[in-house]
Amino acid sequence: MTEGASNRPDPPSPVLHIKDVRKLYGELEAIRNVSLDVAANEFVSILGPSGCGKSTLLMMVAGLIEKSAGGISINNTPVTGPRPEIGVVFQQPVLLPWRTVLDNVLFPIELLRLPRAKYRQRAMELLAMAKIDDFAGHLPRQLSGGMQQRASICRALIHDPTILLMDEPFSALDAITRDEMGVELLRIWQANRKTVIFVTHSIREAAFLSDRVLVMGRRPATIMKELAIELARPRDIAIMESEGFNGYVRQLRQAIEASHAQ
Amino acid sequence: MLNNVRKRVVDLALPAGISLALLAGWEAAVREGGVRSIILPSPSLIIATVIERRDLLLTHLWPSLYLTILGFALSVVGGILVAVLITYSSFLRRGFYPIIVVSQVIPKISIAPLFIVWFGTGMMSSLLLAFLIAFFPMTINSALGFQSIDEDIHRMARTFMGSHWQIFWKVRMPHALPYIFSGMKISITLAIIGVIVSEFVASQEGIGYLIKLAGGLLDTPLMMAAITVLSISGLFLYGLIVLAERRSVYWQSSSDISGSSGG
Repeated sequence: MTEGASNRPDPPSPVLHIKDVRKLYGELEAIRNVSLDVAANEFVSILGPSGCGKSTLLMMVAGLIEKSAGGISINNTPVTGPRPEIGVVFQQPVLLPWRTVLDNVLFPIELLRLPRAKYRQRAMELLAMAKIDDFAGHLPRQLSGGMQQRASICRALIHDPTILLMDEPFSALDAITRDEMGVELLRIWQANRKTVIFVTHSIREAAFLSDRVLVMGRRPATIMKELAIELARPRDIAIMESEGFNGYVRQLRQAIEASHAQ
Repeated sequence: MLNNVRKRVVDLALPAGISLALLAGWEAAVREGGVRSIILPSPSLIIATVIERRDLLLTHLWPSLYLTILGFALSVVGGILVAVLITYSSFLRRGFYPIIVVSQVIPKISIAPLFIVWFGTGMMSSLLLAFLIAFFPMTINSALGFQSIDEDIHRMARTFMGSHWQIFWKVRMPHALPYIFSGMKISITLAIIGVIVSEFVASQEGIGYLIKLAGGLLDTPLMMAAITVLSISGLFLYGLIVLAERRSVYWQSSSDISGSSGG
């Protein structure tokens, strides 16, 4: 079960290639010269304080925000706008309140003009994997916050994207649900391997989930440190008690403190 | 569940009971207090008048209702169209929307005599006044509905390659629906007011004309009968909209479900 290919120093052909990306808002420099290569099926977290520009970077990858300089390409094609190879999970579940959970999961299929009937089965499988298939016919408001976010993860996966972008997806949840969701996410990811870019401001969450963690400093945001997390997979919550895990957490915390000291 | 049913029964019975008590008090005051029916007819006399003169009342009710519904329908279509234009054109939004909002200050029924001058004493004036009054709340509510979608929802739809057209029909339109219905509920009452006022000013038919005529003849029971018939019709039209709203905006029913978490 343990797959050692979690971290390669120089991936042969990166799925996502970010080169010297800058973002300026007028005079304000939000992101300075960020470069990053992400290999296929790699789980990479971008860790940084709130408002440091890590979400901006993610939205540039999603093609929703234009970069000021540099290059972003997915599978060797430059990103110029939203792309079907990408699935996004936002901080809020952003489900459409008038659609049932199943119809919400199938929403991207409709927008992409793919045959709905063909994807219905897949939607049910995803919901089953997220353990909310019993709620397929319910409206979002009948679900708890954690269940809504699970549905939104299913929605992001429905069209089988190569890259899953997650923008602080669990930060609106309470601490207990949050830990549970981390475990669930890893389980889903284990079964449904994707390249994941996960933005978070939680050190433990980043260390628990990732193959690799990038620490971003405050504005202008730039990558301060890169740390490979070489903990065996599949991981469960007990790993958070281990010495190895806490060693990584310590290193990440020091990196963040160093970036604050600047 | 049982508690809910009981609550609903009380919610219905309480205002109904108070209304009946008020009517009974009114009836008793008129009968025992010797109030003349030219000043205040008793509820029973009003009901009797409604039944007795139903042909006259209906003759005048139909044109008013017809114009109300037509004016209302035009205001709904026009209001939604203008709201869409305002939503998608920043020129219109920035140039015209403030004018529309500020023009709300004009008491529009004061324009009624002007409309008579422009469009004559016929149905056209009534129709246009009803439309004009009902149009503004329709536009403003719909525009609010189209524009108030969450930025995140918009982003979500865009990441999944949604076109403007798809986002309009699958996101903005359903999102705006509750706003459109609140606009309709305001507009239908205003459309009635528009028609009646216009008939007050100058008209040869309609329930507004009948009320004014009966007033001139000091036929208070007929006036009250006309007002009653008009109110019931208004209530009926309003009720139709509420019914349609409950069917269309099913995801916002007020029945509270446990475990709903704040976002």
